[in-house]
Amino acid sequence: MVFETTHTTHYLYQEPVVQCLSEARLTPRLFTGQRVLASRLQVHPEPASMDERVDYFGNRVHSFSIFRSHGRFTTVATSVVDLDAREPGGVPEIPWEQARDEVARQPDEATQAAYEFTFESPFVPPAPEFADYARLAFRPGRDLAEAARELCSRIHRDFTYLPKSTAIDMPLLEVFRRRCGVCQDFSHVMIAALRSLRLPTRYVSGYIPSGANFQGAEASHAWVSVFVPGGGWLAFDPTNNVTPSGRHVTLGWGRDYGDVTPLKGIALGGGHQTVEVEVRVQPLEAPR
Amino acid sequence: MVSERITTSSKPRGKPWRYTPHEGHWDEAMTASGFPRRHWRGLLAALGRMGVEQLNRRWRAGEQLIQANGITYNVYGDPQGKERPWQMDPIPLAIDSADWAHVERAVVQRATLLNSVLADLYGPQRLIRERHLPAELLFANPNFLRPCHGVMPPGGIYLHIYAADLARSPNGSWWVISDRTQAPSGNGYALENRLVSAQTLGAVFNKCRVSELSPFFEKARDALAALAPNGHTNPRVVLLTPGPHNETYFEHSFLARHWGFPLVEGADLTVRDNRVFLKTLAGLDPVDLILRRLDDSFCDPLELRGDSVLGVPGLLQAVRSGHVAVANALGSGLLETSLPMAFLPVLSRHLLGSDLHLPSVATWWCGHEEPRRYVLEHLTELVIKPAFPRPGRNTEFPAVMTEEGRRQLAARIVAQPEQYVAQEQVDLSTAPVRASHGLAGRHVVLRVFSAWDGSGYTVMPGGLTRVSTEDRSLVVSMQLGGGSKDTWIIHGRRERPAAFSSVPKADLAARATPPALPSRVADNLFWLGRYAERVEATVRLVRALLPGLSGEADFGHGVSLETGIHVLGGMGLLAPELLSGSIGNQRWTLQRHLEAMVYDPARASGIGWNLKQIRRVTWPLKERLSSDTWRVLQRLEADFSGTPPVTAESRLIGAMGLLDRSILTLSAFAGLVMENITRGHGWRFLEIGRRMERTLQMAELLRVCVAQAPFPLEPHLELLLQVADSSITYRSRYLTALRTEYALELLLSDEGNPRSVGFQLAALVQHIENLPQSDSNSGTPIENALAARLLATVREANPDDLAARDREGGISALEDLLKQMKTDLYDFSDALTAHFLSHLTPSRLTPRF
Repeated sequence: MVFETTHTTHYLYQEPVVQCLSEARLTPRLFTGQRVLASRLQVHPEPASMDERVDYFGNRVHSFSIFRSHGRFTTVATSVVDLDAREPGGVPEIPWEQARDEVARQPDEATQAAYEFTFESPFVPPAPEFADYARLAFRPGRDLAEAARELCSRIHRDFTYLPKSTAIDMPLLEVFRRRCGVCQDFSHVMIAALRSLRLPTRYVSGYIPSGANFQGAEASHAWVSVFVPGGGWLAFDPTNNVTPSGRHVTLGWGRDYGDVTPLKGIALGGGHQTVEVEVRVQPLEAPR
Repeated sequence: MVSERITTSSKPRGKPWRYTPHEGHWDEAMTASGFPRRHWRGLLAALGRMGVEQLNRRWRAGEQLIQANGITYNVYGDPQGKERPWQMDPIPLAIDSADWAHVERAVVQRATLLNSVLADLYGPQRLIRERHLPAELLFANPNFLRPCHGVMPPGGIYLHIYAADLARSPNGSWWVISDRTQAPSGNGYALENRLVSAQTLGAVFNKCRVSELSPFFEKARDALAALAPNGHTNPRVVLLTPGPHNETYFEHSFLARHWGFPLVEGADLTVRDNRVFLKTLAGLDPVDLILRRLDDSFCDPLELRGDSVLGVPGLLQAVRSGHVAVANALGSGLLETSLPMAFLPVLSRHLLGSDLHLPSVATWWCGHEEPRRYVLEHLTELVIKPAFPRPGRNTEFPAVMTEEGRRQLAARIVAQPEQYVAQEQVDLSTAPVRASHGLAGRHVVLRVFSAWDGSGYTVMPGGLTRVSTEDRSLVVSMQLGGGSKDTWIIHGRRERPAAFSSVPKADLAARATPPALPSRVADNLFWLGRYAERVEATVRLVRALLPGLSGEADFGHGVSLETGIHVLGGMGLLAPELLSGSIGNQRWTLQRHLEAMVYDPARASGIGWNLKQIRRVTWPLKERLSSDTWRVLQRLEADFSGTPPVTAESRLIGAMGLLDRSILTLSAFAGLVMENITRGHGWRFLEIGRRMERTLQMAELLRVCVAQAPFPLEPHLELLLQVADSSITYRSRYLTALRTEYALELLLSDEGNPRSVGFQLAALVQHIENLPQSDSNSGTPIENALAARLLATVREANPDDLAARDREGGISALEDLLKQMKTDLYDFSDALTAHFLSHLTPSRLTPRF
């Protein structure tokens, strides 16, 4: 199915900004299941320079700088993406302990690459609470995918989706104790729980279609994927308690939010800032 | 116990030395049988001839040199940002050349090895895939900077400067106990130690045939320049410091001077079009190579650690595009942990095809099962360290733990084995230090430095020897108050004597073209001028008001209690409600207030508070101010930070003395500024700050003491002349009673009086016209126009007209003029700042979900 995504971000400053350096991860990446038919990034005011590269995790990054005094800064990222709507094929059944041990042994390239995602990362520090929470779903000998699905449902059930309830600098344990947050909090909690069992888990940044009864469609969205030895990465969206397939547009992935922040920037001046974000994901009647 | 009297055949002049090394350790100076080692004989014999008293005498001179050179070391966690004089022991550590040759070879090998390991880990990562190194070294390591992966530095050199800490075990062999790959500190201190010890020990130093240090620094400098991209014959290299609060800031400024590199902070640099520039008064000056003393994760708040503003946003992208190089390469902090030590023997064979020349202290990484089992079984014999540096994780000593503590530690290791490294308890050798009774043995650790020299690594023939804090302690830390020593490599060859006047400080500095003045420095100088003048104005005002408190001043002195109350009230320094009540009460209020201005450092606009501001703005200027200037400022601050006397009377007398003295100290400062600073833009900004502040202060005095003065006028005019230091001039010029128009002529119009407004403004106009002009076609800058207008207004003003009183008895024309002057001056300051000094605070774009 083909979708057109439009992600608009406005920054309004109280005082003029004389210089701004930015990094955007707003262009969907290419992988099995997702084709990028077109993409465009518009920035206003016009940047003095714009570079594009692929980062450590394989995500597409634009970096640009503005050296003109401005009071308003806008980025509009538009993409056309073709998603493979088929349900993910047979995920091999494997007891989660066995999966954990196999990844730790790193017998092949896939497990070697996955191993990186079993460690703590800046936004996902370890804590015993996460392991206790994970073990509610991860009972001994249980199938990895099945246990992960239950963990996803538990988070969806136990946590309240509350936009603006958390700031990105709130420690994860605090989010966990409050039992509420936004999509990136839901995702970080699930990542922390899985990694506490040493299961490789990635943070995925992307979009979900507007008006599909999903939480988090109005802004950029986030979910997680878990590595299943022999089966690859299996995605879970704890905010909506679904398995993302066919309708989740992926921008990129990393260890946590910090690796795939959609728009980062350092501005000189500016004073107080207000930010407005708008995301639209529309299905396109694409001739096949 | 072996005891040795170190005397020589020639007549000892002082008390002989006694030195008894501790048993059970290798002693650097003495053999186990109690005889001086061969390479110590010359040194010990010379010390013997010198005797305790003479060494003590010489060392007092050495300590003065440390003070005079401003060699300091900052201690973290001190709210005052206190710096501590560098701790040094006069007895050098002597090492013989054969022993040293072995160390040299080993350190070169290790630097080469670690550089290849970095090149692999930030490149193809074969060492991980082929399992020569555990993946955890990268994936669990906060110092593995993923954005730096795939960024190849010029020449493939990641480590430009590498240091190893060495210890010597009881059998005399050296061990590496830690590797410094991030931004090793200490080579500047080592060079300063050499300057001090060569000067203190003079002839002894020359006789002992000690290897020179300076060629190492020259080589390192030239090799750095050669690696700078862009192919300039004279590349611009800067030394990036986290700032004056860093523990080794002294060293940053010392090395910057020695090498002739500008010392910069993150805010001094800007990235445009993937190129790095130094912000100067004359515009943007391109930078080719950054020698950093800032940890790599802080270097770019955009791509690396976002919670810091110490770095340069966009730096990594500039490095990636090849326009600028950073030394050591960003990411090299990755290896600054003890984890790799467990794997280096195998890596050395694999990558270099040879065994390690010097072993590391025995190290086990708990992430692998076999070593983990060993560690858990031998816990009490080992030291447990965090495998990756993270705040709150420290070295643990199971030997001194309770049974329960050890059990918990073992449980933590089992839960997160990859986070722990175990090492053998290191034994340290001892060396003699100067003690009250003669010599005493202390444990030592030697930091050895190497630098990329263009074709390989060169080792500095010497090092920074650090001495344990207490007698038997094995803790060696400058942070915890340990000491240091010079390190003499006794080469035994006859070379031309290493005359230390030949340290090519001035020579190197002259070779590099000095860049234009960094804007931040100009900004600080401007504020130094303003605060210094503000202190002087406050001192003069308080000094003129204090005598009024004693009551006697009513006779003859002229400045009464009422005058004081009117003036301070008029300046907004005293709340009006405090001034009602009896005369006694008023006097008490005024006295308390004046005392607070002198003694209370927390009192806003008090003397102590302004001195604190001076400290804040001069800290980053340290390397630009002469040591005399620095001492004058330190004396001033010290004078005003004492405890005030207990009784009111002695406080009053004490304050008078203090203020009189500080006028002299402030004059010394002003004199140094006028006579000892070259007339560059830096001096100009200092002057502009001073002239602007003096105009503001004078305008305020004229408003309160003339325009708004109640009758009788005389005491106010008297006070005005006293504060303005113009009484004598007035009396000799006018030979008459105090008259408003004369006072105005003297203090407003007369451009020949260095205290008058006219004088300040004329100077201001002249300084402003000499500042660099950035854009010729953009017309007259606002600040120039404002300065010219201010001067013109004062020139046009007629003192006789201004002195005329209106019907209410006020002088509204003067008041208006002063008000306009103040507004113009503030606009002037804003325009100047916007033009030359603009330092906006960077802010992060905050996301929203």
